[in-house]
Amino acid sequence: MIVKLAGILLAVLAVLLGSLLAGGTWIAPAHVLHALVHPGDPQAGVIVWQLRLPRVAIGAVVGAALAMAGTLLQGMLRNPLVDPFLTGVSAGAALAIVAGSAVGVTVGFLPALGFAAGMATAIAVAALSRRGAGIDATRLILAGVSFSSLFAAIIALIITGLQTASSAPAIVGWLAGSLAGRGWSDLAFALPYALLGAALAFLAVPALNALRLGDVRAASVGVNVPRAQWMVLCAASLLTACAVTLSGTVGFVGLIVPHVARRIVGSDTRFALVASAMLGAAALAGADALCRSLFSPAEIPIGVLLAFVGVPAFLYLYVRDERAPAS
Amino acid sequence: MIVADRLELRAGDRVLMAPGSFIVEAGAFCVILGANGAGKTTLLRTLAGIRPFSSGTVHVGGRDLKNLTHAERAATISHQTGDDIFFDKLRVADVVAMGRYAHHGWWDWRRDERDDSAVAKALEAVHLQGFEERQFDTLSSGERQRVWIALSLAQEAPVLLLDEPTSHLDVRNAQEVLRLLRSLCASGRTVVCALHDLNEAAAFADKILLIGDGRLLAYDTPERVLAGNTAALAYGLELRSVRLENGSVRIFPA
Repeated sequence: MIVKLAGILLAVLAVLLGSLLAGGTWIAPAHVLHALVHPGDPQAGVIVWQLRLPRVAIGAVVGAALAMAGTLLQGMLRNPLVDPFLTGVSAGAALAIVAGSAVGVTVGFLPALGFAAGMATAIAVAALSRRGAGIDATRLILAGVSFSSLFAAIIALIITGLQTASSAPAIVGWLAGSLAGRGWSDLAFALPYALLGAALAFLAVPALNALRLGDVRAASVGVNVPRAQWMVLCAASLLTACAVTLSGTVGFVGLIVPHVARRIVGSDTRFALVASAMLGAAALAGADALCRSLFSPAEIPIGVLLAFVGVPAFLYLYVRDERAPAS
Repeated sequence: MIVADRLELRAGDRVLMAPGSFIVEAGAFCVILGANGAGKTTLLRTLAGIRPFSSGTVHVGGRDLKNLTHAERAATISHQTGDDIFFDKLRVADVVAMGRYAHHGWWDWRRDERDDSAVAKALEAVHLQGFEERQFDTLSSGERQRVWIALSLAQEAPVLLLDEPTSHLDVRNAQEVLRLLRSLCASGRTVVCALHDLNEAAAFADKILLIGDGRLLAYDTPERVLAGNTAALAYGLELRSVRLENGSVRIFPA
């Protein structure tokens, strides 16, 4: 297992370094490495440290956060179809950001506004899905999907009204998911929440492992099931809110990276969570690098690229494994 | 030892069991009988401390169930339920190792040598040595049932509660599981399980706890519970009992 995790780590580092090479201006790999070590490098220092590195770092944080949130929620709800946006975080954040832009809130305040609204929606969804001291999986899914649909409808309404306004394209771009224009200050704002979410997630790992056997069996071996559920929900909401604030709604990663991670390291949450975080980081940072470089100077929305490349690749793996004789 | 005093079970407004008292001695094999929906599962979950109850008290090993922490409860009582649907592929050793959860802090990721040896010992006790690496979903129903019992053993709790451990099992596997549970009683563990087969209960139980009609109908030896009319009342079906030469009782629908 250590070998597998180390292998993933090496591959991830390679992807992250490779992502630093992508961009509008070609800089030789040796130059990029030199600039990394010497931020004052007159030629490449600014491009690497102020443009590429923050973007790769943000991509890695967003990817890791979404993949971890997906692993947490899929594990807690024992449902492989769950994605991190289920908690309503994304829809709430999106509505706040779209509404905020529509009424002319300063751009600098939008991430904070989105974060607050995302967390508020997650709390509302959690309150609606309470049963006894714990959380009812079906109610959580129903409440999350209902809120998301309602908010999507309101967003559509606002965008229809905004069609002529200059801010409309930016909003639509953000909704499709993009890391364009993000920098160190955005990361500094969002990172503490992701770290808090990750810390909660790692504390919940033993309980999540026991929850694989069902709530009743987990309770029987001594898991405080309600506490574990609230911890997981808080962790997933914090991680997702951080990701949404930084990148808008990037689908695919939170749903599919957890599957890929489990295929490689198995379903033990101790390993699956770490592997998900690493693979998520590589998937998003790598995809963003492609978005920047494929049709440079134009950028493809990252959600679009992930869907076009990732989904067929995943389906191929899935079908291949299904057809393979059982070991 | 389990001491239930004026224990009442409710499901919403419906009374499943009016206040009733019983004592399950340490090392005893007690079988809960009752029709579908009578409250066998509810009673087991209540005794397991994972379902709140409205009135009465339950003491397990001398301690009030309501005062136990999650970890203390898991160190005292192991409870196995019927459903085993999960989407992950799990190895047998991983399933059994879940029994070790309460032996560590709730945040603690580590698994130590004592855990490994407890898992190995538990698998040996249920005759599943060599099954460690097998995927749980490739096992037969009988093997799965034994894995659940191994999980309980790895938990090292003196009281085992099992919900229908012989459902879906053929007669040979059912006998094996019941013999295994019986042998655990011989080594000092207290076993309470819900069953559907009256003759399995008659053959293996020290005591039968019969629930139905919204109350605790009987709590006595199999011969006394099954020979009278009480069992017929519980199932709403006329039953005929035959006493075998060895003194034990067998039951058939009349």
